[in-house]
Amino acid sequence: MGVIKKLPVYTEHIPGGALVTTSVNSVLTLAQAKSLWYLLFGTACCAIELMATGASRYDFDRLGMIFRASPRQADIMLVAGTITHKMAPRVKRIYDQMAQPRYVLAMGGCAIGGGPFYYDSYSVLKGVDKIIPVDVFVPGCPPRPEALLQGCLEVGKKIRTLKIDEWS
Amino acid sequence: MTKAELTAHITAGFTGRVQVLENNQPEPYFIVNPDDLVAFARYLHDDPALQMTFLMNLAGVDTGERFEVVYSVCSYQLKHRLLFKIQMPRDNAEFDTVMQVWPAANWYEREVWELFGMTVRNHPNLTRFLLADDWNEGFPMRKGWTGTDFIPLPDRG
Ligand code: SF4
Repeated sequence: MGVIKKLPVYTEHIPGGALVTTSVNSVLTLAQAKSLWYLLFGTACCAIELMATGASRYDFDRLGMIFRASPRQADIMLVAGTITHKMAPRVKRIYDQMAQPRYVLAMGGCAIGGGPFYYDSYSVLKGVDKIIPVDVFVPGCPPRPEALLQGCLEVGKKIRTLKIDEWS
Repeated sequence: MTKAELTAHITAGFTGRVQVLENNQPEPYFIVNPDDLVAFARYLHDDPALQMTFLMNLAGVDTGERFEVVYSVCSYQLKHRLLFKIQMPRDNAEFDTVMQVWPAANWYEREVWELFGMTVRNHPNLTRFLLADDWNEGFPMRKGWTGTDFIPLPDRG
């Protein structure tokens, strides 16, 4: 993030710096939006659908999405599955370990609000947005791969609207 | 052995200390006294005509009036199976571990201890492993339990 934090400072010394800043912004957000590397992490049945989306039939790779096994290398966390109270501190910790800029997509009813475990459950967290900020919610139980792909494209659209000094 | 043969064999072999619970399921179902639990388990495991070497399941039950623990065992060698249970008062639920007979009971008994709060005597490792690390809201599988984040199912009539 060092380069990105310093970039506006550099560009201000160039005459017509605003134009350069805009271009850099556009290139960087484009690059970010087209290479969303996701954290390979699934806690319940939604993870099966995530695997199906990553496999050859739906093929995450054509969107530039490649799974990373380490949160340090991941840009986006796809919360695929039920988050229990026991799992919640771990999810928070993985999120904290991700490098900025980082995004979160909550996949399925469980991650959005407890899903089928909303009532009469002692163990399930009622929505992952209680512990980490979520950018896009994809409803379904589980969502179809097409819905997940659209959710990822929505994250990309959101990234394209950001300014580099808003990245955090 | 068939259901009728199993019932006859066990009521004869464990005379007077086992009660048969009539049901229309394929397996026989027995009730034993918690004090006889280990002896009964040992008998099922060691009797050459039974050879119940495999503990399929062990589950706690809260009926509202009392606690029960249900054991499902089967024999791979002789291809038969049965269920038996013990019953305890809710305010003083204690039973012995059957780990020396079926080592598989280890985690099942920990689960019963953790979720129902029944005490398992002589268990080597009664420690928490299912609930959250900072859990302090009691035993969630008991009837009538509520907690901070608990939303009961509304009565839809
Ligand atoms: S939303 Fe449905 S499919 Fe997804 S993890 Fe929850 S129960 Fe499983």
